[in-house]
Amino acid sequence: MALLEVRDLVVQFHTHDGTVHAVNGVSLDVEEGETLGLVGESGCGKSVTNLAVMRLLPRPAGRIVGGQVRFEGIDLAGLPESQMRELRGRDIAMIFQDPMTSLNPVLTIEEQMVETIRAHRDVRQAEARERAIELLRMVGIPRPEARLKSFPHHFSGGMRQRVMIAMALALEPKLLIADEPTTALDVTIQAQVLELLQRLTTERGTAVILITHDLGVVAGMAHRINVMYAGFVVETGLTTELFAHPRHPYTVGLLHSIPRLDAEEGEPLIPIEGTPPDLRRPPVGCPFAPRCAWRLPACWEDNPALEPVLRGATVETTGPRATHRIACWNPPLPQEAAAGRPLREGFVPAPPPGGTLRAPSELEVPVEEDLVVFEPGGGPVTALPGAHELPEPPAGDGR
Amino acid sequence: MTARLPGTAERPETGAGDATASSRTATASAGRGADGHALLEVSDLRMYFPITEGILLERHVGDVRAVDGVSLEIRRGETLGLVGESGCGKSTTGRAITRLYRPTGGRIVFDGTDITRAEGEPLRRIRRRMQMIFQDPYSSLNPRMTAAGIVGEPLDIHAIGTKTERRERVRELFRIVGLDPDFGERYPHEFSGGQRQRIGVARSLAVNPDLIVADEPISALDVSIQAQIINLLERLQAQFGLTYLFIAHDLSVVRHISDRIAVMYLGRIVELAGTRELHAAPLHPYSVALLSAVPIPDPAVEARRRRVILRGDVPNPASPPPGCHFHTRCWLRERLGNPPECETVSPPLAEWRPRHFAACHFVDRLGEMPESAAPATSGVSRPPARETPPA
Repeated sequence: MALLEVRDLVVQFHTHDGTVHAVNGVSLDVEEGETLGLVGESGCGKSVTNLAVMRLLPRPAGRIVGGQVRFEGIDLAGLPESQMRELRGRDIAMIFQDPMTSLNPVLTIEEQMVETIRAHRDVRQAEARERAIELLRMVGIPRPEARLKSFPHHFSGGMRQRVMIAMALALEPKLLIADEPTTALDVTIQAQVLELLQRLTTERGTAVILITHDLGVVAGMAHRINVMYAGFVVETGLTTELFAHPRHPYTVGLLHSIPRLDAEEGEPLIPIEGTPPDLRRPPVGCPFAPRCAWRLPACWEDNPALEPVLRGATVETTGPRATHRIACWNPPLPQEAAAGRPLREGFVPAPPPGGTLRAPSELEVPVEEDLVVFEPGGGPVTALPGAHELPEPPAGDGR
Repeated sequence: MTARLPGTAERPETGAGDATASSRTATASAGRGADGHALLEVSDLRMYFPITEGILLERHVGDVRAVDGVSLEIRRGETLGLVGESGCGKSTTGRAITRLYRPTGGRIVFDGTDITRAEGEPLRRIRRRMQMIFQDPYSSLNPRMTAAGIVGEPLDIHAIGTKTERRERVRELFRIVGLDPDFGERYPHEFSGGQRQRIGVARSLAVNPDLIVADEPISALDVSIQAQIINLLERLQAQFGLTYLFIAHDLSVVRHISDRIAVMYLGRIVELAGTRELHAAPLHPYSVALLSAVPIPDPAVEARRRRVILRGDVPNPASPPPGCHFHTRCWLRERLGNPPECETVSPPLAEWRPRHFAACHFVDRLGEMPESAAPATSGVSRPPARETPPA
């Protein structure tokens, strides 16, 4: 039994614009002491999955429509709110992206930290204060005794995130959910905070769910990764395996569309065409099909399940032998994954059924490459250096 | 002043010697750049924002020195990347160059014309030749205007062409950036973030500018969309011979698109070099730390890497540290036993290698360190990723 087990979680939001299908059957397990990276773009359901775990979905719009969440074997969905309150912070803690909005601006750090500690532990004010000082020292805040009296706005972004980490770890939770913990921070500060987070959770054996859009961050932090798209997990596996042998077209696309600091010079980026789907439409077929270079006719109709890459392999969901699984009818071959595009002779992505473009990029057209320079009234606008000897446009960046 | 104008000393130069421009992406600077002709020259640019106290009688109590003596040069057809952390003055530099601000001091020369103090009609004429792309495609487009209205507005302002010509030009611009011209009557909220940024790009192209200042043009976009915009910008540069000042905090993106890179810290340029040189052998301790802090999406690489983790935060630009602005966080200074000049003397941006400028008193000492080029020098490291979780 894993520490956290999420099974077939379905979350929907009921809005004036219709039902938003935010999470469409997500299953994931987290073992004690393990760091799971949840990677995906905004709107892929990575944050909503975790808000559902914590039962913090905005009400009344957000609802868990199906599935189970079990923490240490206890079904969290059936827990009364009073017990859920005890569990939050004590057993599962959370760090949010923006520490300015998640700290209370009108209370001092001391008031907030002491309140957190005393809400869960039967200790005196003075003891809680001592503990708070100790925690601030642990996260590297200089002169913690003096800083206790400060308000959140007295701290820089990096320091605020350190305070958040101190508060999250105050009660030694078994699971820490870090939702884009460094996205709002500068890169040198991000390095500080990630180092701190990794050191503290390793020392304590805290399990971590690290939510991020940054593949670089998970590469250095996570044991395993779930790649999410449009409310589905589309690929899961060990970090090393997933980066060395990505098998889902979306993962392959992500890896080829971001510039790497250690890339070969002049290596072109291969963008993923189109835009993420409108989640107000109920999912039909594979959610990635409209943007996928490998799609088959079946991809428009049937959504593939998350299956082991090696067909028929027994599935391990956690630990160092976790099974590499993908949800794809036509996974890229290894050489295609390396190239970032299909290499099969004569292969074209299957057109949408009925010929109507259901692709979300309906507002976009292929770029015209051979354009004349605009000359109002017959005269040249300005000198356009190089405009008359147009170099070859780079191939393959049609959008 | 402290800095001399980078790039002026060794000009003129023949194409053969121009390793920077010719080696970088052929698409970005095919044959151009090699002539070394400067489109924009900025010397000792200063932009201070006053801090005042009191309500009725506002007393001037100090300045935020957002840009404090920046000198750079952008050659025609090249992309200069301006990189740094928030508050380092990179955006202010871009806005001062396009004269959205009136600089406190220094000189901005655009294609031979001094525009530092230009106002009114002369300024408007110059603005037609330099345009901006902004970070946030949500707030930089007027929500009450149609997409076609937004893209066509620069043509109206500069009274270019007849009404029919303008409408045709807008449709052409839509096609150039990969949007369907028939959707020009839609409003910004009907477009996705990436499509909105295309509208912003089309607007910047409307008047056929020479220079485009792109201020964090992709940081508000989703990862899968960013590459679309980067590739679009690269293609447009090749197609129209554009010159870019590309401002961003993300070194990987800046490295991908730039021919040369300027690294800023607290209002000053601390290092300026060709992209390859900066990446292969950074000369300033801040650049070393910055490069080492960028996460690389490869667990094998990440496990091997050792990071220079800087201590503390960027100081307040209203009261920057004396001497070298970086000395409060500098790992090299610490290793050298805190030499006094770091705290007293501001190091000039000097040419340590051909066309490779750095503002540090101890660039030569960086070379003494083992593996000086690799960001492994400081010995501060992050524990490698745990390969296997505890059972």
